[in-house]
Amino acid sequence: MRVVALTLLAILAQAQQIPQERQLNLDSFEKVWITIRDKHWQKDPAGLDWQKIHDEYRPQAEKAKTIDETRVVIRAMLGRLKETHFAILPSRVYTNVEESSAGSGSTGIELRILDGEAIVVSVDPHSSAEELGVKAGWKIQNAKGENIADAIKSVSNLTELMATRAIANNLSGPIGSSIKATFLDGAGKSQERALDLREPRGRLTTFGNLPPTYVWVDSRHIQNTGYIRFNEFLDLVRVMNTFSDLIKSCEHCDGLIIDLRGNPGGIGGMAMGMAGFLIDKPNQRLGTTYLRDATLNFVINPRPNQFSGPVAILVDSSSASTSEIFAGGLKDLGRARIFGTRTAAAALPSVIERLPNGDGFQYAIANYISEGGKALEGLGVEPDETVKLTRESLLAGHDAVLDAALNWIQKKGNQKQ
Amino acid sequence: MKSSSGTGFSAQDATASKRVPETLPPRPLCAGLLESLSLLYERLKPVPRFALLFALTSAAFAQNTPLPTGEAVLDRFVEATGGKDAYLKHTSEIQTGTLDYPALGVKAPVTRYSAPPDQYLLSMEMPGVGKVDTGVSNGIAWSNSAIAGPRVLEGQEKALALREAKFNGVVNWRQTIAKAENKGIEPVDGDDCYRIVLTPKEGREETRYFSVKSGLLVKASTIAATQVGDIPVEMRYTGYKQFNGVLFPVTVTQVAAGQEFSVTIQNIENDKPIPAEKFALPADIKALLNKPK
Repeated sequence: MRVVALTLLAILAQAQQIPQERQLNLDSFEKVWITIRDKHWQKDPAGLDWQKIHDEYRPQAEKAKTIDETRVVIRAMLGRLKETHFAILPSRVYTNVEESSAGSGSTGIELRILDGEAIVVSVDPHSSAEELGVKAGWKIQNAKGENIADAIKSVSNLTELMATRAIANNLSGPIGSSIKATFLDGAGKSQERALDLREPRGRLTTFGNLPPTYVWVDSRHIQNTGYIRFNEFLDLVRVMNTFSDLIKSCEHCDGLIIDLRGNPGGIGGMAMGMAGFLIDKPNQRLGTTYLRDATLNFVINPRPNQFSGPVAILVDSSSASTSEIFAGGLKDLGRARIFGTRTAAAALPSVIERLPNGDGFQYAIANYISEGGKALEGLGVEPDETVKLTRESLLAGHDAVLDAALNWIQKKGNQKQ
Repeated sequence: MKSSSGTGFSAQDATASKRVPETLPPRPLCAGLLESLSLLYERLKPVPRFALLFALTSAAFAQNTPLPTGEAVLDRFVEATGGKDAYLKHTSEIQTGTLDYPALGVKAPVTRYSAPPDQYLLSMEMPGVGKVDTGVSNGIAWSNSAIAGPRVLEGQEKALALREAKFNGVVNWRQTIAKAENKGIEPVDGDDCYRIVLTPKEGREETRYFSVKSGLLVKASTIAATQVGDIPVEMRYTGYKQFNGVLFPVTVTQVAAGQEFSVTIQNIENDKPIPAEKFALPADIKALLNKPK
């Protein structure tokens, strides 16, 4: 009897929650709509009649029975803007560090889609992929029981960056689990591996509302050239200090290479801060951000210690946002030469707020124009030297993009002599 | 790819295919705002103080008397917040509080040290960003952070920083303000306020709204000069509370470039000796000043 009573109580409690949840979902819909109305950099967001958009989607939001259905409606409304950096992030993204890290297991494989094939471009040190002998240049044929060629076809309508992420999802999962993957090696033989998913490379970092993220930085000298690569513009103090230390150690370097391939961005101010080590002239800027009621310049602060030699920046279609602002601005200022392939073309400044129903709402607050006068959004940064990675060169142990940058720096050094 | 985190894309992109991960963790930029947070905070510095005497407070005052001059409104504010003597008896001030930037989910402890005549240090420790300091030492206005590096302020920015750094600037406003004009009465959140336009001796105009009833500052607006550009800023002052004989607004909320920040004061200590090192120029600033032009 007691069990029945408890069950009834539970049902009643659940029934009572429904109108409350529905209201929270509707409030979330309204908050998103109002935020765009009030904070989009254009009074008529993306040239749309925003009130009309509200009237079109509000009935759908009212019909939505669950938070998932509400999310679909809000995403459809945001999709009408046809702009990046507008997203709804399910509340579970904002879980604590332990839960988040448990779902971000890594095989250590970094992949790119090259000529329609998923190719391993690098393997993290100490990863299961490295331990099991997976090599750069191997083609990924199958992962998690899915045919990767078919998977690539199914995301062919997406941008390169989005498609790459979607395919990479086949190589991720909870830490502690494992996945089976089949590769085609350099000799044309099929290689099957059971890859453990381990904690990703780097240090788990948090910043404000952002989901906890693993950040790593690799700084060293290649011959007499300084080289730095970091996976995100986050973990600010560590990354900026490492960059500063590299600059200090490079007083007599032939050049400097900043590798932003695969870097999706982060804190935009870091682009200005890093540029300050490379630009000596005051009042220079990387670009300009246009908000509805203000114009903000990405002004570069010349640092006391500078690097004045040749600077190469490596980019690819997974270099986005702050990476594009940094590379595009320094290219426009004539301070850096860009190597690789066109960037992701997604460079709008954004913030994230929590919605009444617990979801996160990311929205762009401004438009961004690089110093050369072009919007990076939708266009990206076009390299000075387009260099594509190929399976063949990777199998031969070459990083064609890095090699091109090193050659350029060497030539500059020779010219100087 | 070892990391699926990235820039964050439009809902259109995110729903274009079921194969795409449901969540695409974003990478916010908000760069200019972050970079200029410390500068904006200077504008948040609570200036009002304690009121023991509300001699001139009534609606009748507003309705039946001629509009007071801007100067009279500023002087009344000094009285309303504690009076000249209450301000002048203090020899130093240490404010501790919290900066809250809800859009980014950032909260940072803030400490502000000030001493006569214009020694000033504002220090923030922002999670994920590190230490952000701004200061004025012997007429040199500066800022320093891991993100932007050391910087010596110039022009309008410097003028603003020097003005804000004046110890007891509230009482001695005539030293920095050239003109204060009362432009009439306007409601702010239902409270009739005098709209006073201040013209500083150096720097930009600022409009302040003082409650007709209480004489307290409730709102201010200006175009703030920052390194990243001129930013319209609006500030609200709420929750006045007495600290050591002077009335302060506990919370100052600021809207700048569409973003809202607030500073909440937890404590104010007065007359505690502040070591000279606190106001000394940081080594990085000295290096900048000594750098050949």
